[in-house]
Amino acid sequence: MTADAFLFWFLAITTLAGGITVVSIANPIYAALSLAFTMVSVAAVFVTLEAYFVAGVQLIVYAGAVMVLFVMVLMLFDLKHEIEAFARGKVSGAIKLLTAGVLGGLLIGAISYSPEGSKVAAGANQVAVAGDATKNLGYRLFTQHIFAFEALGVLLLIIAVGAVALSRSKGGTHGQR
Amino acid sequence: MGNDIFEITVNSVKLIVVFLLMVQAVPILVWLERRGSAFIQNRFGPNRVGPLGLLQLLADAVKFITKEDFAPDRAIRKLFYAAPVFALIPATLAYAAIPMSLPFIVPAFEMFGSTWGPYKFLVQGYEIGVGIVFILGVSSLAAYTILMAGWGSGSKFSLLGALRASAQVISYELALGLSIVGVILLYGTFSLSEMIQAQQGPLQFVAFGHTVTSAVSWIPNWGIFYQPIGFVLFFAAAFAESNRLPFDLAEGEAELVAGFHTEYGGFKMLMFFIGEYGHMMIASGLATTFFFGGYGIPGITPAELQQVILGWGFSEAAAGGLNSLIHFLSYNVKFAIFLWIFIQVRWTLPRFRYDQLMDLGWKTMLPWALANTVVTAVAIYVVTL
Repeated sequence: MTADAFLFWFLAITTLAGGITVVSIANPIYAALSLAFTMVSVAAVFVTLEAYFVAGVQLIVYAGAVMVLFVMVLMLFDLKHEIEAFARGKVSGAIKLLTAGVLGGLLIGAISYSPEGSKVAAGANQVAVAGDATKNLGYRLFTQHIFAFEALGVLLLIIAVGAVALSRSKGGTHGQR
Repeated sequence: MGNDIFEITVNSVKLIVVFLLMVQAVPILVWLERRGSAFIQNRFGPNRVGPLGLLQLLADAVKFITKEDFAPDRAIRKLFYAAPVFALIPATLAYAAIPMSLPFIVPAFEMFGSTWGPYKFLVQGYEIGVGIVFILGVSSLAAYTILMAGWGSGSKFSLLGALRASAQVISYELALGLSIVGVILLYGTFSLSEMIQAQQGPLQFVAFGHTVTSAVSWIPNWGIFYQPIGFVLFFAAAFAESNRLPFDLAEGEAELVAGFHTEYGGFKMLMFFIGEYGHMMIASGLATTFFFGGYGIPGITPAELQQVILGWGFSEAAAGGLNSLIHFLSYNVKFAIFLWIFIQVRWTLPRFRYDQLMDLGWKTMLPWALANTVVTAVAIYVVTL
């Protein structure tokens, strides 16, 4: 086994173990912490693919900001009730199994019906070699994919506005009750 | 890591040395902080143990190590013990990526009957092409250690301190990241070494097709002359990121005892200390690198200094080594000045109120950082048209 193969399998196993822990562990705090661990592992996978910029952004945005907020909010909740609601119940268990099954089926289907996958990966590699990968990424993002990029930005803005509106309509922290 | 066993060995040892450099600086900084605060407040400070109280460091270290190791009754032991160890990791990883001097060039030599080299050793833990993104990404993970400590301690003070600290770190991370965007635009690179190379020589830039050079040759080509607002924002945000006064609401001893490390003592406490000082050192190193020419010396480029040293009668290799050493000293002088500013500010300014802290972060620094980014981008576009 080469060093690259070892690194891949090691990271694949840790990432999947983190991901499985997220859904299987009862305590939401530990679930959130293992999701953070999964995200750091994914960043490491990006590093092995020589996508250093994407790895860094993954760390800053997901592991550094989004998940910290998540963990923070969870700590403010009364968790005893949540743990019970989370861990027990046949209906919710069935739904969990069903969701996992559908997702797994989708993944397997996507992999088995895409013979072009390996070719696409080879092409992507050539683009990265052609020049500064980060510069290339930025250039493509702001020319070829500008519509999708802006649409995603608007979507995030809508989410932010919606969250503020929802929290305000119930009184919020500063509003009149 | 390297091509042969010698290079791999040296690079591995270098990683340990850089880590020790960071850890060893902490007791000196603690001493400086205590003596400096005494100097600022017209007191004596620790001056009993050894000359100038310097052996106080050793006494402190012995005390930290020999204290009883305990966990509170309600603590979640795994998180409680893991948090201080994790506090060291982001600081160490980020600090190792900052270049501290010119590369150390070792010419080919004979050893054990075979020829080795030539080698080029960078004076830093490791070099990463996207240096800034890596450092920001790794140091943003520090928020977890605070949350783990706060939650794992099983105490209200710790939890509230941790929540405050992580909210503050997330808020100021935005301003910190945006304040650097101007620098990245200016140099067109993420690599810290390339930035330092761009800042060598006298003040000189290209505007509308003309090269403008400063009349006074010793004014260096440093980033501070192009990005003054970026520097102020970066430095202020760095204070908040390292949880130092005037942003140390996480500790706020009047209301929270000591914040997220209330329940920690002895060696575990020391590790949090090292983490905090580590963040201070990263901020000082980055400020030096981005805005003050890194290891560069004003008025003389590394190549010119090499010629001067060769003129003293050294061999090529020895001159290269000496050159590297002088630049290392230059880096450390700038680094120490920033660390002193950190200490001076801590003992000069009072603490913010929490709403003032959030207002400053979101309503003042973020818009200014955004404006700085936009103005820099437009200026670079227009000037290089």
